[in-house]
Amino acid sequence: MKELLTPRKLVIRVASAGLALVAVMLVCSLIGAESVSLKAAFYGAGAPGAVNPDYEIFVKVRLPRVILATIVGAALACSGVVFQALLRNPLADPYILGISSGAGLGTIIAVLSGFSWTLWGRSPIAVFAFVGALGTVWLVWFIGRLAGKLHVTGLLLAGVVVNAFFSAVIMFLISVAKSEKVHATIFWLMGNMIEEDFFALWIGGGCVLGGILALFNISPQLNALSFGEDDAKSIGVNTARTQTIAFAIAAFITAVAVSLSGLIGFVGLIVPHGVRLVFGPDHRQLFPLSSIMGAIFLVVADTLARTIVAPAQLPVGVVTAIVGGPFFLALLVKYSRKVSWLA
Amino acid sequence: MSGIIEVEHLSFGYTFQSTILKDISFEVKAGTFLAIVGPNGAGKTTLLNLLCGLLRPEAGSIRIDAARIKSYSVKELAQIIAVVRQEFVPVFDFTVTEVVSMARTPYLGTFGFESKTDREIVDEALKATDTAQFAPRSLGTLSGGERQRVFIARALAQNTPILLLDEPTSFLDLKHQVGIYDLLKAAQLEKGKTIVAVTHDINLAAQYCDVTLLLGGTELSHAAPQSQNATQARSNYRVGKTKDVFSPEQIEQVFGVRVFAGNVGQEKFFIPLGKFAKDIRQIDNKPAGCQPK
Repeated sequence: MKELLTPRKLVIRVASAGLALVAVMLVCSLIGAESVSLKAAFYGAGAPGAVNPDYEIFVKVRLPRVILATIVGAALACSGVVFQALLRNPLADPYILGISSGAGLGTIIAVLSGFSWTLWGRSPIAVFAFVGALGTVWLVWFIGRLAGKLHVTGLLLAGVVVNAFFSAVIMFLISVAKSEKVHATIFWLMGNMIEEDFFALWIGGGCVLGGILALFNISPQLNALSFGEDDAKSIGVNTARTQTIAFAIAAFITAVAVSLSGLIGFVGLIVPHGVRLVFGPDHRQLFPLSSIMGAIFLVVADTLARTIVAPAQLPVGVVTAIVGGPFFLALLVKYSRKVSWLA
Repeated sequence: MSGIIEVEHLSFGYTFQSTILKDISFEVKAGTFLAIVGPNGAGKTTLLNLLCGLLRPEAGSIRIDAARIKSYSVKELAQIIAVVRQEFVPVFDFTVTEVVSMARTPYLGTFGFESKTDREIVDEALKATDTAQFAPRSLGTLSGGERQRVFIARALAQNTPILLLDEPTSFLDLKHQVGIYDLLKAAQLEKGKTIVAVTHDINLAAQYCDVTLLLGGTELSHAAPQSQNATQARSNYRVGKTKDVFSPEQIEQVFGVRVFAGNVGQEKFFIPLGKFAKDIRQIDNKPAGCQPK
């Protein structure tokens, strides 16, 4: 039976999951349209002028993409955990408070306005998506706060309405725009993994890792918040502070993920639930384990996305839904007898 | 004044609603068991939320341990007052041990894990409430009475001198009602805790509580028409030793229902009488507080 979490147990679980992640990343880097030998790749770039194709593909193409999937998967799974805890709603995902439509709107505006500048090597699409995501989430938070004490319900309602409104604006802009410009946007809206340069990966990875550590730091408080704000206060949790920190970090790492790879659904919903079903709802282990599992899940999904119809590629969001759905349902059936809120 | 809880001229009303509590003063001495009794809407739960600092008084003051309640941080207050609210199940599937351990949240170290002392305190609380047997089970699989005991265990594990409870025995059967009150009384007598319980059960309150606050709302129209001439309505309340506060007249006046009062040995009891009670006419003719046949 499940006993109380100890640091020892947590370290063992996180280390095993971390090893599994490294193994999955390595294997997935070797799979693809071109076969790559790990041994050959380790010989390095070789002499100047000479080209080692294994190294080129492994380090410049596959690895950045696998690392990107790791960062995005971890960020989405982690912020899924936060939104489910803060809103006390098992249906919450990272996009529930308008991040998806805000980012989408930013993207459409960037594409339609035809900007061609870059900011720290980022295209206007990424920058606009980031700003759109954070702007929308701030707007939703602001409106939700106006609703006062019952702001969990207020937030959810504000999120749903803002999402619907911005989606309508997106559809309007797509309808009136010229079609060739729109194609890239639609692909982006379904999740678009590309081979990012290492600079973007360092920045993105740093932000996400920092966010996950900060969330781990407030995880006991988030446990208490599962019982509602009043109850959490009476066991000594500064609820307003905890909620604001958790919310800000989750919104930020989601915006980072979205600006790196577009909108990838399902990861933030099913990974936290899967981890909860197997290991229990304690946030101290939910954050690290969900991050690692989210990373593994997205690396595998992206590998499928680029190999199933190779040399063409599927949007990774299609794969996460098609693979993730049945997998999650299987977990649900296997463990549901243990879970009261599903009964 | 020397009470661990001191309430002076307390008034409170929710926004857009009329005042619920008006000019209430009382004190609770350390180590006593206070019952807050009154009809629905009289402001019992509101008063409890004021006492635990969740609501701010509109006027008047609440002192806990001689210091004003607002001078405490959330964390400090959680080390003095533990609260058991009306029972509910959280969204996620925490086990009993996990729930009770959450009481230690304000005491956790840097990495957020329970120390050996924390674990001992949790174990002790589980034992005291007889919940150790379902420690590894999830809260959702327990019955209402068992769940209520788990929340009381959590409150005990907070190791606070004061325990506030909101209707701890609603939805419970007779055995579990008595079980909960026995448990609370033991915490009072053995650990010297101050216990404040909002309850609808005047018979259990009469049996277990030393002091009672009988809260009748702010309307005095039936009871004391003359007070309508006064500039402001005051809360209609009485506070004192339970045996003095619980007289049939006062209960009838506050709840607006006929009661039949009796006693067995030293224990007083009250039975409400509805319109269809078979002997109501007979009892109506007799002075309240008569003996059973």
